[in-house]
Amino acid sequence: MKALVTGAAKGLGRALTEELLQRGYEVIAADVETERLEDLGIAHGGACSIRFADMSNTSSVLRLLDSVDGVKFDLVVLNAGVSATGKFEEIPTFAYDKLIDINLRAPIVLASSLVRLQAMAKGGKIVFVSSLSHAMGYPGASVYSASKDGLAQYAKSVRKPFKKAGVRVLTVFPGPMVTEQAEKHAPPGSSAEKRMAPEKMARIILAASRRRSRELYPGYRAYAAMLLGKTFPTLATRLMRKGIFDKLDGPVY
Amino acid sequence: MGRNQRRSHNILITGATDGIGLLLAKAYAARGHQILATGRRSVADDEAFFGTPSITYVTADQSDPEHAAQTITSTLSELGWKELDLVVLNGAVGWVGPPEEESTGKISEQIDINFKAPVHFALALSPLLFQAKGRLVFIGSSAITKGRGGFATYCATKAALDGLVRSLAEEWRGRASVSILHPGPTRTEMLRKAGVDPGWKRLLFTAPKRVVKAIQVSIRRGEQRRILSRFFCFRCRFTWFQEGRL
Ligand SMILES: NC(=O)c1ccc[n+]([C@@H]2O[C@H](COP(=O)([O-])OP(=O)(O)OC[C@H]3O[C@@H](n4cnc5c(N)ncnc54)[C@H](OP(=O)(O)O)[C@@H]3O)[C@@H](O)[C@H]2O)c1
Repeated sequence: MKALVTGAAKGLGRALTEELLQRGYEVIAADVETERLEDLGIAHGGACSIRFADMSNTSSVLRLLDSVDGVKFDLVVLNAGVSATGKFEEIPTFAYDKLIDINLRAPIVLASSLVRLQAMAKGGKIVFVSSLSHAMGYPGASVYSASKDGLAQYAKSVRKPFKKAGVRVLTVFPGPMVTEQAEKHAPPGSSAEKRMAPEKMARIILAASRRRSRELYPGYRAYAAMLLGKTFPTLATRLMRKGIFDKLDGPVY
Repeated sequence: MGRNQRRSHNILITGATDGIGLLLAKAYAARGHQILATGRRSVADDEAFFGTPSITYVTADQSDPEHAAQTITSTLSELGWKELDLVVLNGAVGWVGPPEEESTGKISEQIDINFKAPVHFALALSPLLFQAKGRLVFIGSSAITKGRGGFATYCATKAALDGLVRSLAEEWRGRASVSILHPGPTRTEMLRKAGVDPGWKRLLFTAPKRVVKAIQVSIRRGEQRRILSRFFCFRCRFTWFQEGRL
């Protein structure tokens, strides 16, 4: 079994890569911080091949595709993503451009190209990693959540046409995790207690990727948040404002 | 509130050289407002093109969002506009076809024009909007209510705007209103520009002038989100506007 994971160096991507390697997958692990993957390369020998890929740069993304020419993937996890938190107008446009390129353009280009190039094995699965903010709204990270909403819509749109090509699609909406990124963007003083460990998240996602699920809100907290967000959308966004936006210190990008 | 006073309002409309944007600019001009219209083409004579002296045009190609935003802000200061009562971010492009055939160039183009540019504009115009407690209106698409295999990236950009509005409206509450209006299939040239001819189905699309009326009604009412269904557009036919108000 062969898998591709983007944003594999840390956080959820790292946990997914490790979990897949443990399950005997051959994994192509892509990231900009390739040095942080070297230990996995050494521990797992040929099973883990490390690729440099800068998701904010289309030519780098296309080079990644070139470098995996001929491989048929059973699983592709489009996990790479960045955030930008703060008041909308306090974050510079270059940070927004980069965020949109990484969170929305890169996964669309990768998914579309992988199917066009027939780089997916029959019955292979593409996993799009959106965010729980899709259900709640996210004042204080409005462009981040917008990019994740765009990605969720893309996944929904391609489900049928990709299925015709023998490729299945799963969209995941993870809530807060105990990762470097979450640490960086959470409001000061927020506790890590209610956040999920990336290793647990990885196991839930991989279990779902073997079922026929189309959408996954991992963990009961995320599921409850989704129900709240769908039933009382305005209230949910207000709560997010109170819980996060009003407590933010300054912009982080 | 100032914006409902009877006076001439300052309005910016993007993508105002064709279709919905053009008709909307003309409709507001006819009701006595001052319009700054933008688009990708160059227009030699604004008054001849728009048929009214109330519309000023500037070329601001959204495929370069940074540059387009700069052009717009510098034009606004040349015009001496210190505040904006209404901004309608309408300019957009589409591409139609199977998602696996969508080229990287087309994907980037739609994301830049339909999503990045509106983000840049919202940021650049926020001081002028706050000044007037104005309204920022995004034009989305009713296509986002379902999965759309035939225009996946286009739909993703519009869903992104929908999400942006949800969060930004909450962030800006009390300073400026933020909303999104989602037109359904409309009888403009947009599909042909996207590379398809809808053929006889075009007859089933709503007339652009009905959609434009519905947009104005929804803006007047201050709705945060509205799917401009055929039925809503029909109902809006019977709304009467007073001159000199939004
Ligand atoms: N028509 C529909 O069925 C439909 C349905 C749902 C939503 N919408 C949305 O409604 C809005 C208006 O659509 P429409 O039907 O009126 O389309 P349209 O007739 O093609 O008008 C789009 C406008 O945007 C301009 N534009 C395109 N690319 C641009 C760029 N790079 N920089 C600046 N301006 C650019 C166009 O300029 P040119 O005149 O040079 O082409 C035109 O003025 C769009 O946001 C569209 O997504 C349309």
